[in-house]
Amino acid sequence: MATAIEKCVHCGFCLPACPTYSLLGEEMDSPRGRIYLMKNVLEETLSAADAQPYIDRCLGCMACVPACPSGVEYGDLLVSYRMLQERERQRPPLDALARRLVIETLPYPKRFRLAAQTGRIGKALRGALPEAFASMLNLLPEKLPSPLPAPPVLPARGELRAKVALLPGCVQQALAPEINYAAAQALAANGVEVHSPPKAGCCGSILLHVGAEQQAIELARRNFGQFPDDIDAIITTAAGCGSGIHDYELLFKDQPDADRAAAFARKVTDFSAFLSSLGMRERTGFAHERRVVYQDACHLLHAQGQQSEARALLMQIPNLRLLPIADAGMCCGSAGAYNIDQPAIAAELGRRKVASILAAEPDLVVSGNIGCITQLRQQLKSTGNPLPVRHIAEVLWEACAGSE
Amino acid sequence: MNRAFIAALESIYPPQRLLTRDVELLPYESDALTAFQTKPAAAVLPDSDDEIIATVRLCHEHAVPFVARGSGTSLSGGSLPIADGLIIGLNRLNRIKKLDPQQRIAVVEPGVINLSITEAAQPYGLYYAPDPSSQSICTIGGNIAFNSGGAHCLKYGMTSNHVLGMKVVLADGTVTQFGSESIEGVGIGPDLVGLFVGSEGLFGIALEITVRLMPQPELYRTVLAAYDDLGRAGDAVSMVVASGLLPGAMEIMDRLAIKAAEASVKAGYPDAEALLIVELEGETLQVNAEFEQLRGIIEASGAFEIRVANSEEERARIWKGRKGAFSAVGRLSPDYIVQDGVVPRSRLGEALVEIGALKEKYGLDVANVFHAGDGNLHPLILYDGRAAGALEKAEALAGEILALCVNLGGSITGEHGIGMEKRDYMPAMFSEEELDIMQALRRAIDPLEIANRGKMFPGGEAPALKQHGMHPLEKAGVISRE
Amino acid sequence: MTARAPGSIAEIQSLVQNSDRVHVVGKGSKTALHNQTDGAAIVDLSGMSGILEYQPSEYTVTVGAGGLVRDLEAALKQHGQYLPCDPLLPGAASIGGTVACNLAGPRRFRYGGVRDFILGAQLVDGMGRAFRVGGKVVKNAAGFDLSKFLVGSLGRYAIMTELTFKVFPDAPCFRSLRFNYERLDDALSAIFFINQSAYELDALDLIPAADGWSLLARLAGFQESLPQRVERFAAGMERDTAPSDIATLAESPNLWDPLAELSGEFLVKAALAPKQIPAFDRMIAGARRRYGVGGNIAWLATDDVEALAAALRNCGLRGLCLRGAVHSAVIGAPADDALAQRVKQVLDPEHKLV
Repeated sequence: MATAIEKCVHCGFCLPACPTYSLLGEEMDSPRGRIYLMKNVLEETLSAADAQPYIDRCLGCMACVPACPSGVEYGDLLVSYRMLQERERQRPPLDALARRLVIETLPYPKRFRLAAQTGRIGKALRGALPEAFASMLNLLPEKLPSPLPAPPVLPARGELRAKVALLPGCVQQALAPEINYAAAQALAANGVEVHSPPKAGCCGSILLHVGAEQQAIELARRNFGQFPDDIDAIITTAAGCGSGIHDYELLFKDQPDADRAAAFARKVTDFSAFLSSLGMRERTGFAHERRVVYQDACHLLHAQGQQSEARALLMQIPNLRLLPIADAGMCCGSAGAYNIDQPAIAAELGRRKVASILAAEPDLVVSGNIGCITQLRQQLKSTGNPLPVRHIAEVLWEACAGSE
Repeated sequence: MNRAFIAALESIYPPQRLLTRDVELLPYESDALTAFQTKPAAAVLPDSDDEIIATVRLCHEHAVPFVARGSGTSLSGGSLPIADGLIIGLNRLNRIKKLDPQQRIAVVEPGVINLSITEAAQPYGLYYAPDPSSQSICTIGGNIAFNSGGAHCLKYGMTSNHVLGMKVVLADGTVTQFGSESIEGVGIGPDLVGLFVGSEGLFGIALEITVRLMPQPELYRTVLAAYDDLGRAGDAVSMVVASGLLPGAMEIMDRLAIKAAEASVKAGYPDAEALLIVELEGETLQVNAEFEQLRGIIEASGAFEIRVANSEEERARIWKGRKGAFSAVGRLSPDYIVQDGVVPRSRLGEALVEIGALKEKYGLDVANVFHAGDGNLHPLILYDGRAAGALEKAEALAGEILALCVNLGGSITGEHGIGMEKRDYMPAMFSEEELDIMQALRRAIDPLEIANRGKMFPGGEAPALKQHGMHPLEKAGVISRE
Repeated sequence: MTARAPGSIAEIQSLVQNSDRVHVVGKGSKTALHNQTDGAAIVDLSGMSGILEYQPSEYTVTVGAGGLVRDLEAALKQHGQYLPCDPLLPGAASIGGTVACNLAGPRRFRYGGVRDFILGAQLVDGMGRAFRVGGKVVKNAAGFDLSKFLVGSLGRYAIMTELTFKVFPDAPCFRSLRFNYERLDDALSAIFFINQSAYELDALDLIPAADGWSLLARLAGFQESLPQRVERFAAGMERDTAPSDIATLAESPNLWDPLAELSGEFLVKAALAPKQIPAFDRMIAGARRRYGVGGNIAWLATDDVEALAAALRNCGLRGLCLRGAVHSAVIGAPADDALAQRVKQVLDPEHKLV
């Protein structure tokens, strides 16, 4: 942690990349400023409680990491700092309750479904609830889809090219089970045998993101041993899972199972990255031209450096026109549990993102992350725009199957 | 800072734009020169001209010193806060108010980021020429205060040469306007734009700036030459100049700077003692003719490898390593000082030999990056602030380099300004009388010396120097440094 | 009163210290500046001349302010270099006078004006203090940039004794072209077209012609590429600006002397933006004029300076009268001189320099 802090030379190159700095224009809400605050907290010249609101406001989008010429590993710094602080932190009762809800429900599809039912009742009461609760309720769709379990093993179509397992994810399973279903189908169509281990669960990334270290470790550990040994990759369809799992090394530092965690993390690959390196075999395409904007998930673009993989796949699809947008690298405000913790900033970033998407006049938005999809759908809905937002796995399945 | 002053600020600013708590002010205590740290008493984030004017007038009325700040990227401590003073953060004033491609001008607010002007002008085939290495983040207000340069100064000048007019609030609250939309700027009467630009924030705050835009060159030809000797790269520059060519940029990096840039952006630079980048720009036909001549010169200059950028990507890659070189040194050393001196071009070789000797004398590493076309040296002095006395040693070395620049007939700063860092070297360059005249001028504009007090002129209260110690957590064994 | 011609800085200092009012003349080429100097000691700077430092490879030259521009240009030419700000009256003017009046010529279009090429100066101010401002290297950011302030200062803040300039290598070959347009708006549109194009012109002046307006353009460069560039430029102009006539002109001394054909009792320079030309031009019916440097400088000749001053005032413009009997050399709209006054207060508090 100290190394990361020392590496920062305060040059300010991170400022234009930072969503909260571009929104609020104050130094405390910039990567450079946050590093400085963390430094002061660690050196005990500033109380952690004073610094906390600014650290909390960080989206963890990691846009500052590629922008940094000095190679400050901001992600590692933030995760370590959050873990350190969560051990000691006192939260106001309502915040603590909201956070408890996040920790206890988001990772568990069944609990989340249950909470969602309650939540729907709660929507009527939204006005009476504190902001943090209200924002959680806003995220819930009008109607939760029925579960759509993938078969334990979906055989490859045609020649077998690879064997993979799907990481089920957490919130996504409740909100959009069709994503993993589509991912399995798209992979199978391209000659991949797809396993969906019935006992696999949440990878713990969402808890790592909010600094709930112990709970994250427990969840992560539950997954070890749930996946077959002879698979080529464990596929995630949520950007946050992929980048969180790549932080296992940090999470499991000085913990038992560090080796298993590392071995697990090495196998994990994002859906688009996997398919683009394998090469798409099937691409029937669309009957009519589709104007598509690809929304970069921060946890793919900045945290995993994946700028071109998904775009390469989309560009191979006949009759699909990929449109550039302004500030493509700027976070949409979803950022894991952020739209629950910081609803006002999340909403403003969402508005800006939607404005730059609409300027390109697309008829479809594609993303590789449930968080972005939910955020964009909600922003579009609030402006009454019917523009569809879909996961890349769904679009590829459709394009591979040739069903328009 | 008294209660009445704060109360008056409260009547101008909503709470979220008036910062007074420690946690809000700490991140403002340094700019990009972290050797100096001073916590201001308060900071305000104005949203309009009127708020700035009202704030400056309040400061004048209450005799409260202020520092205008953009992105805080000064390498000379130019935006270091004043204890008991006010920070006026201008980064929210970031609107481009007018863009007139036909007359090649733009009117901007002070918090507009340098590169944003180019981005706005690009669709019209125009760009804003001054390109300091921090152009992606530094603001025009800061560029004006420090007359920022960049890699292309020899041909197109510094910020001063690209500002045509401005509206400013002087330190005593007077609002005045000078210059025009004509390329002549002020045109008739003394060139007030030229006087205001580079005044390091001591005269007041620029509120609205008219800048000139230039047509994007039709073609860039960029060549990268590798040498096994730094002196040979310097000689190549002299040969280019003697040939009558006028390149847009000529840059040299030495081994250590190459290593840092390579670690940072993986530009794929050759393994060399020195790299020379020469860039020609202009009309295709003209540049191609010039390039043939340049190629001949570079081939005859003893380079062991010559690379020609054949695409915009290759050109960008060559420049990316150079532009990120300063910050990249953060990868090689826990601390460093960026120096900024100028020597007559013909004495570059001499200067480099001397710097080499000083390096030995002090036992410190120095990475050299310089704008060779205009003799602007940027030695980066590497040190480890955790070692006792290391900072002082690095500063002593930096001081000797500056003295060297003056002795060779140059200047103690090419583009970073005097700021905090070089105050004590002003007497090496100016006589007592010259300094007195500048002081008198400053007082004629700012009788209370409230605008950026403590900068540029020697003396004044000594700022707190950064002293590294072990982190408390490090002492407790919780964390460690690799 | 006869002029005194000091030969050293010390002599100038003592002259200033021992006089109530001091007025500087260089070569006296701009007669309008010397009308209101009753009772002032006249200082002729001819003695402060010569090339003091010139190393062509440095792209800098330091000269005595009283020397002729012509002599400096000749010295530079020997090394293939030139002053890109293109002093307006090279044959007659002093170097100091060129700076004091900010008089750049047509070639200013390519790289910039006097303010862009002055690097430093040695001065004697109104209190008789001798000091240096700026530097002698092409890049310098130390201290307040008083050297730029001297540009256009009319010698009223300090007397320049020595000046340092940045110089550039000059092009070996030139070609000039003339494009005719029937309407002013069309000629201006052509300027705007050029402004947004990649054609690199050495000079571009707008001149009223018998049946409309002429754009006079010049390209400079290498023998190998110049003919092709000229051809491409002419073709581009023909295609995109629809001139009524295009002609290639032979280079001659008068072609690029903007004052050559301006006859009148009063000669005035004004700075303006190209888009101000139509309104201004309608108001100055009687004046002979040329809009130089892409329409950014007006050179005007008239017999009715009052009418011209009124036109300038109406357009919010100011002019500097170079020739003719005027009360004040600066005419037109008043200047916001809040900042200039502070400088005057420091450098010449007794208002000795007139």
